[in-house]
Amino acid sequence: MTKNHNLCRRPRIYACCLFFLSISLTLSAQDLLVSGQVTNGQLPISGANVLIKNTNTGVVSDFDGRYTLTARPTDSLQISYLGYTSLTIPIQDRSTINIIMYEDATALGEVRINAGYYSTTDREKTGSIARITTKDIEKQPVNNPLGAMQGYLSGVNIVQNTGVPGGGYDIQIRGRNFINGGTVPLYIIDGVPYGSLSLESADISAGINGADISPLNAINPSNIESIEVLKDADATAIYGARGANGVVLITTKKGKAGATQVTVNLSSTLGQVSHFLDLLKTPEYLQLRREGIINDGRGDRLENPQFNYLYPELKTWSQNRYTDWQKELIGGTAYRNVAQLSVSGGGAQTQFLISGGYQKETTVFPGESNYKKASALSNINHQSSNERLNITMTANYTSEQNQMPRTDLSGVAYRLPPNAPELYTPEGELNWENNTWDNPLATLEEDYNVRINTLLTNVGVAYKLLSKLELKANLGYNTYQLDSYKLLPNTARNPKFGFTPQGYSSITTNNSSRNSWIVEPQLHWKENWKDLDLDVLVGTTFQSQTSEQLVLKGRGFSSNSLLKNIAAANSMEVREADDSDYNYQAFFGRVNLKLKNTYILNLTGRRDGSSRFGPNRQYGNFGAVGAAWIFSEEAFLKTNKILSYGKIRGSYGTTGSDNIGDYKFLNTYNVTGSNYNGTLVLEPTGIFNPLFGWEANKKMEAALELGFLKDRIVINTAWYQNRSSNQLVGIPLAATTGFGSVTGNFDATVENTGLEIDLTSINIRSADFQWKTTFNISVPKNRLVKFPGLETSTFSSDYIIGEPLSIIRLYRSLGVDPQTGIYQFEDYNQDGEITSLDDRNFIEDLAPKFFGGLGNTVTYKNLSLDVFFQFKKQKAFNHLRYASAPGILNNAPSYFYDRWQKAGDIAPLMMATSGGNFSLFPSRFNYSSSNKAFSDASFIRLRNVSLNYNLPKGNNKMAISIYLQGQNLWTVTKFDGPDPEQPSHVALPPLRQITLGTQIGF
Amino acid sequence: MKNHISHLIFQSRFYSNGIHLKRYLKTCCLFLAVVSCSNFIEVDAPKNVLISETVFENASTVESAMANIYYRMREEGMATYGLSAHLGLYADELDYYYADFNLLSLYTNSLLPENSIVLEYWKNTYSIIYATNDVIEGVTKSTTLTVEEKEKFKGQALFIRGYLHSLLVSLYGDIPYIKTTDYIENNTTARRPKNDVYQSILADVVLAQSLMTTDDPTGMSVIPNRSAATALLANIYLKLENWELAEHNATELIEAFQLEPDLNKVFIKDSKETIWQFKDDLITSRNTFQANQFIIKAIPGQTYSLTNTVLDAFETDDLRRSSWVGSFTSNDGLTTLYYPYKYKASLSDKESLEFSIVFRLAEQYLIRAEARAHLGNVSGAKNDLDVIRNRAGLEATTAATKVDILDAILQERFVELFSEQGHRWFDLKRTGRDGDILGAYKPNYQPTDALWPIPETELEINPKLRPQNSGY
Repeated sequence: MTKNHNLCRRPRIYACCLFFLSISLTLSAQDLLVSGQVTNGQLPISGANVLIKNTNTGVVSDFDGRYTLTARPTDSLQISYLGYTSLTIPIQDRSTINIIMYEDATALGEVRINAGYYSTTDREKTGSIARITTKDIEKQPVNNPLGAMQGYLSGVNIVQNTGVPGGGYDIQIRGRNFINGGTVPLYIIDGVPYGSLSLESADISAGINGADISPLNAINPSNIESIEVLKDADATAIYGARGANGVVLITTKKGKAGATQVTVNLSSTLGQVSHFLDLLKTPEYLQLRREGIINDGRGDRLENPQFNYLYPELKTWSQNRYTDWQKELIGGTAYRNVAQLSVSGGGAQTQFLISGGYQKETTVFPGESNYKKASALSNINHQSSNERLNITMTANYTSEQNQMPRTDLSGVAYRLPPNAPELYTPEGELNWENNTWDNPLATLEEDYNVRINTLLTNVGVAYKLLSKLELKANLGYNTYQLDSYKLLPNTARNPKFGFTPQGYSSITTNNSSRNSWIVEPQLHWKENWKDLDLDVLVGTTFQSQTSEQLVLKGRGFSSNSLLKNIAAANSMEVREADDSDYNYQAFFGRVNLKLKNTYILNLTGRRDGSSRFGPNRQYGNFGAVGAAWIFSEEAFLKTNKILSYGKIRGSYGTTGSDNIGDYKFLNTYNVTGSNYNGTLVLEPTGIFNPLFGWEANKKMEAALELGFLKDRIVINTAWYQNRSSNQLVGIPLAATTGFGSVTGNFDATVENTGLEIDLTSINIRSADFQWKTTFNISVPKNRLVKFPGLETSTFSSDYIIGEPLSIIRLYRSLGVDPQTGIYQFEDYNQDGEITSLDDRNFIEDLAPKFFGGLGNTVTYKNLSLDVFFQFKKQKAFNHLRYASAPGILNNAPSYFYDRWQKAGDIAPLMMATSGGNFSLFPSRFNYSSSNKAFSDASFIRLRNVSLNYNLPKGNNKMAISIYLQGQNLWTVTKFDGPDPEQPSHVALPPLRQITLGTQIGF
Repeated sequence: MKNHISHLIFQSRFYSNGIHLKRYLKTCCLFLAVVSCSNFIEVDAPKNVLISETVFENASTVESAMANIYYRMREEGMATYGLSAHLGLYADELDYYYADFNLLSLYTNSLLPENSIVLEYWKNTYSIIYATNDVIEGVTKSTTLTVEEKEKFKGQALFIRGYLHSLLVSLYGDIPYIKTTDYIENNTTARRPKNDVYQSILADVVLAQSLMTTDDPTGMSVIPNRSAATALLANIYLKLENWELAEHNATELIEAFQLEPDLNKVFIKDSKETIWQFKDDLITSRNTFQANQFIIKAIPGQTYSLTNTVLDAFETDDLRRSSWVGSFTSNDGLTTLYYPYKYKASLSDKESLEFSIVFRLAEQYLIRAEARAHLGNVSGAKNDLDVIRNRAGLEATTAATKVDILDAILQERFVELFSEQGHRWFDLKRTGRDGDILGAYKPNYQPTDALWPIPETELEINPKLRPQNSGY
């Protein structure tokens, strides 16, 4: 029987056989042999506890979910499994009882939540932890884990920066704490901190992805078990100096005991730009252009052939041609094909998981650009037979290759004149139309290529010294290597410039890497007395990170065919040659006291030392106290039929930030890589300040958690107030000092307050039909509380006491003057002039007012449907920010036709101008910085729809499901730009994606 | 080292649990103690960084600190391409074709205190001045450099400090004179009257002149030496109307250098008349910024072209009109534009052909001519002027009186030095003709435009710089 099985399973099988034998021996007359299978409806659940009620007798279901035990016919079986609702089933004389268990999202006391150095449960946590699990992640066809989190987690605001594959995301957890801007949280993957800052160089990819490549792309979302976001002091203080902006814990999938499970997942995704702008058509565009030239007093040029060269769109190009450049340049379909294979299994002592994935994604641009990613995850867990030693090892390797045009074509697609010429000549060459335009597809010859290899490894060792005392060590090593290049061949430039490969063609390369290791020995002691549970953890951290970056530019090649070989360049320039070391050491601890399962006190603390600070300033102390009262445990509520769970919790503590870059305290000269007359250049790095220290961030939170009707409805409401002081800012200096700023601690305070509500409701739950609703909303508010000397500082035009950090000052538009046809503005100080300092007094805020998500999951038999909406209330710059005058060369939205034409006209837009009338400049530019250029960009977005069908199981035991998923399907918004989520007018908006896939398990 | 705390906690809590536990704990604490060491969080400086004190320990690293100064002056461009183009627009030398708001404001003489060029010049120049002060202080403190090395570097740094302040004072009027690296002092420094600033400049440059020698180890005048200081002094004395010293310094150079007889060789890198120039090297794979900026290769595509004022200023047979002015005609043959063509090599293949010249001998002849005219030496003035005219293929000047010869010198400066270092603008200002001449060509020009505004943000950070120059 065992011959065909994997070695790993043997111990378990023997154990089962022995167990079975022992049961058989004690079988007596009145006892009944009960057997059956535990499943979740489709797949077997191995490891479920099957217990005879009110006894200590029971068994664990085997790898096929099967169990067998003896019981009296009148007994009841109690079945429990982590994350599933426990069941009690009377035997009633049956000998075969198959059990279907349902996953229970509201199993408050059962699901373990990762809190970093320890784990807790929803029921017992004293801090604020938001969570998304594989169930919600796998429904979303995204490339980056951050993409899967958008809208799902309260207090976490995530924006995708571009629809170009492999790009980055911005994340803010509970608002912006620091004036110097950094909102990047601490990322920890399987216990190991992971640098999330892009290593790409702006010299190379500013045009295509803003030099922002998220290292988190290396984490394949389908390998993720859960993502926890730690928000308040109670949860983050144990991360001390790195906890101020929140902590994101990513846990990858682990091997599970049971039958060897092979899962194959194949999917295909089609992606398209979700929204095109309504731009001027040729006749209107040309009309505005002509009118602008006349208005500028240059009407004579329209007839004078001497000026043909200035206005090809009016003079030499076809006047009837029309091209929808959006369709032409960003209107393609991006295909993504994903294949994923995972094998997991193991016995009681050793479990394993091996998973591999490959994906290839193309773009909506013309050409062959594509992004490829291959990833492998392997995990082994082992527990010694005496259960004292526990070892976990995880390795995650990802290789990415991204080949894109040098520039995102979106900006030019919105700007190109609608009658611009053909892209290609009939011979298939790039068409330069007698050198009258810059062909946008020339950028396809300007290759941008990046290869990224990431290895994340960690080993966790735990040894039980005593039954209640455990020695643990967490060891990790990460390496991230990014190599990229950009080619600028002369053939991609207008031939009119006469560029040659010798004079112009260039390659810029970037070789960057980041390596880090961490060692964290810890002691963990658990004790319980009658009513009191004690949990103590102490540990220490040693972490070291080194980063290197070398950016080279080679120019001048004898032929473009040598362009990829920088050694063939006539000249080479070192653009960047950086390396830095960052060492970090800490002691941390936690004491958790639980009285009668009702009163919980959680104390955490950390002493941090960082190499980023000068002598005597390296250490900082951080700590927090959290407390919870589970009042539903009190006698007066314990039997309440409606309120099944109630908890009040609160926390207060400090965290910090050393997010200022390395070596800022040293007085140094920098090797820039340049030279003059053959002599290497040494440049003074800056004004040094050896005295700066940690930024402090005090967090306070109060929350109420309620569960109704056996926790079918759970509502969590949290209020927080975070105050950040001792701000590390570049204190501005007069230019006469030689530098713009000196890094120092500044006595300014920034406050973030907010309300977060999370709701989960299981509306209907029956064997065949389930309907679940989740909802979250966050209402954040940011405020500058204190800033000594703000009025006289350089920040005086950026910030106002009592207002958010994200304010912008705008002119207040008074519309178009019906007499002159130009924009008018409110003269706040009534000095008769419109000046930036005095009259930009209309205050707006870039930060969202509130945001959140609403999800519904409906399951009927084998069919399940998920619908998730994301919403955000916010304002953003609209098209007028980028162009405010009709008639300029760039194309514009069709509403630009509605312009002032003659005295007396009441019109929303000023008179047309070709751009040549300097006296109109102030009016145009001020309008772009006026309240009219900033408008509502709120949206409700159908972020995700997922339809999953599990095929009925045949005899071959294969579990096959087919799914259809859609991302970013539909958006309600008043915003006039391409996308309200990422209100840029130059970057490709996030795509609308539809995925068809299948998952096969056997 | 905080691990003794955890040690204590466990000792006390577990003491009663017996001897085994103690042994375990000792092992644990030992483990913690071994791995933690107090200097773990002290890291070495990165490879691309030198701690400041070590820079001034030997001559080669100080040379690198000076190389930074020359590199930045060339790249940030005020002394290379910046003044030539920007002041050409601001005066009447260049027409402008692009829509860059900051350049347009220069062209239309409607500068705002927020103008980015106004800010960049101020910021970058003071930043380089910081670097000169750091060298002066570092070299002075150094205990390892020889006296000769100290004098050489200090001379160079003082000269650059004086030169940069002289550019700032010509643009902005009253300015702070920065002589220290102390940021607390420099952060609240006040503007000093123009004449004070000139006294400080003279003090620096005269001292620099005495510290430096006329040696030119590179043979191409790409590192300033005594001659560069002398040229600057002649230039400043002319501005200050100290005719004797202007003549004296110009004479020193006229005796040491020769004019390049061939106009087409005046701007090549080994021109004999070059007193100081910035080396444009192959690393950036280009020749001069000026050539890249001015030479028109396509219409449209041009940024600048020479104004008719410049074209009309040449006398009929002036060889400079053909040697130093280029032209380009559009594809359709309908448009022809002219551009400064002193620097002719705009892209490089294997080797740079031209460097950016700051001081050249022709200017010194014209300085001496002007100084001599003011000193009453009309024939001496005529001689110097005719040296320049003869090289350009022109007859001797017909001017005979002091007034006429001064006019003739100014006219000659215009056609000899056009599109170089903002000479045209500075000459118009110096002689008080900016209002009349520019006022006629540029409708927006007002008398207060003779000074640029102090950058607005600087007035905000350091209120001691107030008030703003009038007119802004």
